[in-house]
Amino acid sequence: SASYRVPAPAPVFLPWGPMAAPQALASSPPHTKTNSFFIFRVQLKYSVSVFQINPKEGCKVHVVFSTERYNPEEREGRLGKCSARVFFKNQKPRPTINVTCTRLIEKKKRQQEDYLLYKQMKQLKNPLEIVSIPDNHGHIDPSLRPIWDLAFLGSSYVMWEMTTQVSHYYLAQLTSVRQWKTNDDTIDFDYTVLLHELSTQEIIPCRIHLVWYPGKPLKVKYHCQELQTPEEASGTEEGSAVVPTELSNF
Amino acid sequence: MQGTPGGGMRPGPSPVDRRTLLVFSFILAAALGQMNFTGDQVLRVLAKDEKQLSLLGDLEGLKPQKVDFWRGPARLSLPVDMRVPFSELKDIKAYLESHGLAYSIMIKDIQVLLDEEREAMAKSRRLERSTNSFSYSSYHTLEEIYSWIDNFVMEHSDIVSKIQIGNSFENQSILVLKFSTGGSRHPAIWIDTGIHSREWITHATGIWTANKIVSDYGKDRVLTDILNAMDIFIELVTNPDGFAFTHSMNRLWRKNKSIRPGIFCIGVDLNRNWKSGFGGNGSNSNPCSETYHGPSPQSEPEVAAIVNFITAHGNFKALISIHSYSQMLMYPYGRSLEPVSNQRELYDLAKDAVEALYKVHGIEYIFGSLSTTLYVASGITVDWAYDSGIKYAFSFELRDTGQYGFLLPATQIIPTAQETWMALRTIMEHTLNHPY
Repeated sequence: SASYRVPAPAPVFLPWGPMAAPQALASSPPHTKTNSFFIFRVQLKYSVSVFQINPKEGCKVHVVFSTERYNPEEREGRLGKCSARVFFKNQKPRPTINVTCTRLIEKKKRQQEDYLLYKQMKQLKNPLEIVSIPDNHGHIDPSLRPIWDLAFLGSSYVMWEMTTQVSHYYLAQLTSVRQWKTNDDTIDFDYTVLLHELSTQEIIPCRIHLVWYPGKPLKVKYHCQELQTPEEASGTEEGSAVVPTELSNF
Repeated sequence: MQGTPGGGMRPGPSPVDRRTLLVFSFILAAALGQMNFTGDQVLRVLAKDEKQLSLLGDLEGLKPQKVDFWRGPARLSLPVDMRVPFSELKDIKAYLESHGLAYSIMIKDIQVLLDEEREAMAKSRRLERSTNSFSYSSYHTLEEIYSWIDNFVMEHSDIVSKIQIGNSFENQSILVLKFSTGGSRHPAIWIDTGIHSREWITHATGIWTANKIVSDYGKDRVLTDILNAMDIFIELVTNPDGFAFTHSMNRLWRKNKSIRPGIFCIGVDLNRNWKSGFGGNGSNSNPCSETYHGPSPQSEPEVAAIVNFITAHGNFKALISIHSYSQMLMYPYGRSLEPVSNQRELYDLAKDAVEALYKVHGIEYIFGSLSTTLYVASGITVDWAYDSGIKYAFSFELRDTGQYGFLLPATQIIPTAQETWMALRTIMEHTLNHPY
C-alpha cells in the first residue's frame, strides 16, 4: 500500500504534526551516541500515532519506521526497524527524540566506514574548486560524494535544530566548500548550503562550519539567514550543535 | 523517438571537437557582445538596524551606479544581495566594513559561474545535435523545448497542434499542445507542468508524456478510447520567464518574474494567484516571499492566460497540475480543511492512480486533499478549477521526497515519467467513464 496510516479516527487535525516527526528523525543525528559517522535515512514507509496533543505542552508523536543505508549505491537492504518518540514542546524547534532500533550494522563495520570517509576527505586536493553539489541537473560526481556526505551530515544537525511541528527542512544544494588545514588531523570544513523549507517554500542559505574526527563528537557551528514571518521576532538563526538526543540500543 | 533510458555517461568529445567548441564559444561570445563579469562578486548583506538599511539604500541611489541590487534593501533581516563590479569591490567593501555592515560573498566570480554553465549547456547541446534526436532523459532549456514543440507538432500534425494562449510578463509566448482526433469542442483534459520554474522534473515529465500520447494512440486501448472522445491539452512551460531564470541565474527560482514599481522583490507565486480563497492562509502578502500571492487574483499574465482559455473553452472535465517534490497526489481543497462534495470519489480515484503508479517502479505516493496531505494553501490552481466546475482536479508532487528535491538527477526523468503516466491514464480513464 502506498499511503501512510494514521489510526482512525484522526484527532484534532494537525496537517503537519505527523509529518514533522519523520522529518525530524530524518534530520536528527541518531548515530551521535556512538560518535559514528554512519548515516542512515528514514524510509518513507512508517506508521504514526499521535498520542498527545496539548496546545500548551506540545505534541508527542510515536513513529515506527525502517531504515536503509543513505548511500543508494550501496544497497545492503534494510538496516533495521526502529521506533521513536518525538516530542515537540510548545511548537519549539529541536524536538527531543528517543529512538530504538533493532538489527543494525555492527560497531566494527561502522568504524571502518568512518575511517574510509576520513581518509577520502584528507586526500582531497585543496583549494577545492567547487561551485555546486549536486549540479543543476542533479548530478554528483563520484569523486565529490564524500564532500556531499559530510555536508549532508552537518546540514542534518542544522535542520534538526530548526525543525518544528510546522517547519521542515531539506538540503537543496551545497553551494561552496572550503577545507581548512588543521594541526591536529581533524577534518575542518566551511561550507554554504541552501536549505529548502517546505511550509514557506523558502530557500535558506546557511554557512556551516564543521569539525570532525572519527570517534569524536561532531562539532557544528552555523549561521542561517531566515525570512522573517510577521509574528516572529528578529531574523537570523545561529547556533552550534549541542550534544543531541540520547539513544538506546543503537 | 525515446532517448536512451537512464541517460548517463557518454563518450567524451574528441580533441578536434573540443577545439572547435572553444573557438565556437569565443565567436559566440564576441558575436553576442556579451558582458564580461570577470571578478565581479555578489555580496550578501544583512542590515542590523534601520540605520544600516538606509545606508544600503544610499548605495542604491549612487550615480553613477556602483552596485547592482539583485535583492534590494526592503526590510530588516531580509538579506540584501548586490552584484559589485570588480572595479568597485575595494571601495564597496571598505564602505560596508567602515559602517559595520556584515557581508558574505555569495558568488566569488560571476564570470566563472557563467562560463561553467555555458560550457555545460553547449556540451549537452552539441551532443544532441550529433545524435540527431531529442534526449528525453536530459533537462532542456526554454529554447530547446520550444524548438522541440515545433518539431513535434510538425511530425504529428494529425493529432497535435500548438496554441498560443498568451504572453508572459517578459513577453515570452505561452504555448499549449492540443491533442485531438477531431470533432468540435470535445470534453477536454488539462495538464500543466512547470508552474514553479525550479521543478524541472515536471517539464521533463510533460515532454515525455506528450510523446507517449502520440506513441500509444492506436496501440493502447484505454488511451485510444480517451482521445477518440476527448481532447487533451498540455501546457509544458507554464512559467517561461521563471524557467529561463533557473537556467541563467538562479536554479532555485520558483515564482514568475513580474516587476511592480516601488516593490523591491520580483515575482509572484503563480500557484497562489488564482481566484479561489485568494489571499487566505498559506499564501503571503509579502512580495519577497516565495508564496507571494500577487496584488490581486489573476494579476499575473501566466495565470490569466489559462483562466481565459479554460473559461472560453467551457468544456474542461479534468485538470491536472504537476509539481515537485514530495511524491503526493492530491485533490482540493488547499485553502481549507473543508472536504469537497465528491471527496469520496476523488479519494478512491487517487488511491487507484497511486497504486497504478506504484506498480511501475515501486515508488510510494501518499494521497488525500491538499490541505490535509501537504499544507493549507490559498489561491491555488486546483481549487479554482474545482470551483469553476471541473470535478476532477488533481495536483501531483513528483519525485523525490527530499534526497535531491528540486535537483532530481536526469537519470530519474524517464522512470518518473513512466510511473506518472500510469497515474494520469487512470485519472483520464475515470473522467472518460464518468461524463458530466
